[in-house]
Amino acid sequence: MSILDRLLRREDLHSLAAPYALDALEPAERVRFEKHLDDCPLCAAEVRALTEDAVRLAWSTAAPAPAAMRDRVLAAVRTTPQEPAAQPEPARARTPQLPPHVWGTQPPPARARARRTRPLFAPVATATAAAALVVASLFAVQAGRTQDELDAQRAQAREIAHVLAAPDARASTGQDAQGRSIGVVASASEGSAVVTLSGYGDLPSGSVHQLWLMRPDVQPLSLGLFDGDTPLVASGLEKSATSLAVTVEPDGGSEQPTTQPVVQLALNSVGFGE
Amino acid sequence: MEADELLVLVAGGDQKAFEELYGLVAGPVYGLVKRVVRDPAQSEEVSQEVLLELWRSAARFDPGRGSALSWVLTLAHRRAVDRVRSARAAGEREVREARRSHSPAFDQVSEEVEAGLERESVRRCLGRLTDLQRQSVTLAYYDGLTYREVAEQLSLPLGTVKTRMRDGLTRLRACLGGVA
Repeated sequence: MSILDRLLRREDLHSLAAPYALDALEPAERVRFEKHLDDCPLCAAEVRALTEDAVRLAWSTAAPAPAAMRDRVLAAVRTTPQEPAAQPEPARARTPQLPPHVWGTQPPPARARARRTRPLFAPVATATAAAALVVASLFAVQAGRTQDELDAQRAQAREIAHVLAAPDARASTGQDAQGRSIGVVASASEGSAVVTLSGYGDLPSGSVHQLWLMRPDVQPLSLGLFDGDTPLVASGLEKSATSLAVTVEPDGGSEQPTTQPVVQLALNSVGFGE
Repeated sequence: MEADELLVLVAGGDQKAFEELYGLVAGPVYGLVKRVVRDPAQSEEVSQEVLLELWRSAARFDPGRGSALSWVLTLAHRRAVDRVRSARAAGEREVREARRSHSPAFDQVSEEVEAGLERESVRRCLGRLTDLQRQSVTLAYYDGLTYREVAEQLSLPLGTVKTRMRDGLTRLRACLGGVA
């Protein structure tokens, strides 16, 4: 195929963005175009915008759904299994789905990028591992809880969703010598982070894992106590923060760390420390 | 709670969150499917499938790509169009008859439902497109025609239809302003 042919073909494919957004392609064409989207970030962005436009057309059609439908759907839901949240499928079929910039597979949106002077990307594998860790532990704690716990979890899920949705949300992970790890998804613009510990098991009773924010020239700041595997949501983080550290403290936590950190994680790869 | 947050919980198996999410999306989903499929019984069937798919594949939702509501409606539209096309291919009489009894004109947006602001502005903005832009967009989106079928129906070259669709959508965006 000549270069001209290829360009024409590309141009031809590109012109399918609007019909695609309107679901006006035939099945074979749809497949071909979706393949093209994988290699063309520009087209993908355009399709996203055009799809949003098409959805506006949908909004104007809302109509009351039949009451009986509700009962049928809710009954079906009680017996229908869900696709797993995290399945180690090949390539990009990776779930759970986080914003691409959290995975580290795409640069964060321009607003966040403009301020940065440091290298943009945490290593992809690292970001992915951390994000998976956060989400996996989020989903691990759903089953068999009381209503109060569920309510608390909902509030927490809301905070977590908020951090994950921030345009500059980034992920990072750190490991200690025993392979135990700490994962963080953080947004410097929101000053918030979701932190998880993994592999640390149960502490002897009377002690607890405490999370600290390390900043230059000041005392460590306590960000809270871990409750088992449940992710910890920290907010009010200053831009100057350099790292997170976890220590083992007596029940109830300490004013200042009283032991050496069991694990520490630098925050520069997630947009802090400037 | 908003749809995006609810969907995160639904992905974790929270049935109560799904119930709440159902309340937010069932009307928009059913209305859109019915607009495309027309036949009430079939519309209900397709809507049910969409809502169940929402439960099953909630973990596939990618907040980086848009809101939960856009995701659900995009899914609903895709399924509605698939149904209309396979029905058309199979020559299902009921669907064709239901379609005949409803003219597809844009200005015939069902009046019986309470008219929200969005409905009004979509109608107004569709009215500002050129005839060809409007027909290209609505024949595809509301009637489920492929762009080839649209070209045939309007006796236009394929390239022209693709351009009209794009221009129509972008002009709609400019008129409606911002993201819903």
